[in-house]
Amino acid sequence: MNSVARFILWTVIAALGALALATIALHRHEQINALWLVTAAVCTYALGYRFYSAFIAAKVLALNPQRATPSERLENGRDFVPTNKWVVLGHHFAAIAGPGPLVGPVLAAQFGYLPGTLWILIGAVFGGCVQDFVILLFSVRRDGKSLTEMAKQEIGPLAGSVAYASVISILVILLAVCALVVVNALKQSPWGTFTIAMTIPIALLMGVYLRRLRPGRVLEVSAIGFVLVLAAIWGGQWVSQTPAIGKYFTMGAPALALAIIIYGFAASSLPVWLLLAPRDYLSTFVKLGTIALLAVGIAVMHPTLHMPALTKFVDGTGPVFAGKVFPFAFITIACGAISGFHALISSGTTPKLIRRETEIRLVGYGSMMAESMVAIMATVAACVLEPGTYFAINSPAGIAGQLPAVAASTISSWGFPVTAADMQSLAHMVGEQTLFNRTGGAPAFAVGMAHIFSRSLGGQAVMALWYHFALMFEALFILTVIDAGTRVGRFMIQDVLGHAWEPLGRTSWYPSVLATSALIVGGWGYFLWQGVRDPLGGINSLWPLFGIANQLLAGVALCVATTIIIKMHRAKYALVTLAPLAWLVIVTFTASWQKIFDPDPRIGFLAQAQRLAASGANPRLIFNNRLDAAVTGILIVMVTLILVESIRDWTGILSGRREATTKEAPMVTTRLAEERG
Amino acid sequence: MRFFLLVRVILQEIFDEAAYKRFCVKEGLGVGRESYAKFLAEGEKASQIKVRCC
Repeated sequence: MNSVARFILWTVIAALGALALATIALHRHEQINALWLVTAAVCTYALGYRFYSAFIAAKVLALNPQRATPSERLENGRDFVPTNKWVVLGHHFAAIAGPGPLVGPVLAAQFGYLPGTLWILIGAVFGGCVQDFVILLFSVRRDGKSLTEMAKQEIGPLAGSVAYASVISILVILLAVCALVVVNALKQSPWGTFTIAMTIPIALLMGVYLRRLRPGRVLEVSAIGFVLVLAAIWGGQWVSQTPAIGKYFTMGAPALALAIIIYGFAASSLPVWLLLAPRDYLSTFVKLGTIALLAVGIAVMHPTLHMPALTKFVDGTGPVFAGKVFPFAFITIACGAISGFHALISSGTTPKLIRRETEIRLVGYGSMMAESMVAIMATVAACVLEPGTYFAINSPAGIAGQLPAVAASTISSWGFPVTAADMQSLAHMVGEQTLFNRTGGAPAFAVGMAHIFSRSLGGQAVMALWYHFALMFEALFILTVIDAGTRVGRFMIQDVLGHAWEPLGRTSWYPSVLATSALIVGGWGYFLWQGVRDPLGGINSLWPLFGIANQLLAGVALCVATTIIIKMHRAKYALVTLAPLAWLVIVTFTASWQKIFDPDPRIGFLAQAQRLAASGANPRLIFNNRLDAAVTGILIVMVTLILVESIRDWTGILSGRREATTKEAPMVTTRLAEERG
Repeated sequence: MRFFLLVRVILQEIFDEAAYKRFCVKEGLGVGRESYAKFLAEGEKASQIKVRCC
């Protein structure tokens, strides 16, 4: 394509993107089509990738196609393997795409579709994609070193230790909130509980099949597992309609929480091949298929958004979670815009597969764009619902009211009409006893997704199947995060304890395996239990805590990245990582301050503890709020330490007091480039 | 056709089939129960649990 045609093409894309953004930003009091969101997203990503990522690749990072990557230099046929860029892209996307970009935007939809959509687009293009891109390159140039190792080498030992502690703390909160989303999605739902319970024997069967019957045939067994899961969804309907069996799967939140805690412990202690690996394969299979299906569904059905651009809850009085649109929309969206957790993957398995430096742009920046698109689809799924329905599902009983008629009346009084009869009819249609007070985001997403699909594929007759398929898909996703996260946390704790007493560090010594599994499960189990017992539904306190933790980890990653950019003598381009870092610091520190000290008991943990104490509530509830305040404070102190260490480093280097030495692996010319000329 | 081949290769990498094949080539083993058990054991020993993002 010649330069004139290219210029015209990119001008058209920019104009179309601007038109779509203007449409979603300026329309008030009238419904818009979901395709405007999709168009705005596609154009923004295209422009971001074509121009901004190219600028970072050329000017800031100076990607060198002649430089051999660790996959080539250290090739061992196991973890260091030069791999096709599209294959690495798929591999990386499968690892970073989790439940966060589905749940966060659904919760943030209480502010309307506009704040969430804008942050997903801007945050991804200027923050999340950049973070994933630069951390992946820096890890590649350090032989695949992890984020914590890079923090230790490039900033200092204190930063390394603090980063390590931050990762473990964040992991505990992440696992607790993930488990809480599953509990809220499955409580009093025999259909959903049966389907998810069945995924355990299905995973065990897959493990045995792989090990004994058809070794290594993972795709084949995943397809079989998927068919069995579909059968379980079908069977769940029968279970829910058969009281004699259904009663065993009709569980309250505490019973479900206990079941998940026991499951997490078992998954962490059992051999990987038996439960964890097959479940991971099954979850990935369902995940990739469903995301593709949802994308096609939205493109073909192009539903109308019923949620307004902005709701009155931008003032902080929202029922889903308390707090104003700034800063809470930004920490609630989390992974859809920028996720600190991605930095762990960008400095984990992916850098060991990269064949050429120039391919990092596609893998790092491109994968995050796809993840962000998933968040846009989740926003659409939440916003196609009537606002009254959305708030009825997502409002905790402590705010909307316990009885359906009371809850419907409360929600209608907010200006979002809904009736108990409408909700009963919808619940009946999706095969649930009730849809009131189903907080956590997953049920609202499932209803939205079922709503989109039922408009063509089978109509309302199969809406219940679509709903339970979506619920199963999310719960499967989340349980995989719990499996793998608990095990990763166990390894990290064993790594630390091994320095104190060597046998504790052995990953095959069963007393250590059981003790450290109990420690990590006990950690997230405690927070899960706290969430289940929370009269405000748990999500109100735990999701913001998770969002703060996740965004703070991104702050750590951007500190490391900025330090390396300055050490590379490219300080004039440091704004590329410094600007998102500054924004994250402003957002997370403001949110943390409010979560600890705000006088409104729905927002501030200490105010809530004080209110509970004054009303003579259970001392455990009071302690939990104080604990949440302490955890938030500790996270902030840890990140502040890394930030201060980093700033000392930057000022030292820029003033010439400190030598700028990076710990990159030596430059070796690639043979691959020579072979290809 | 090339697209579908690529999709197949991507799926084989995501689902560790490619890693198992590489392991068999590296160790000079055939595809079977014993080699797969060794492949799984090596992965577990190396603590190479894939981190899954939230």
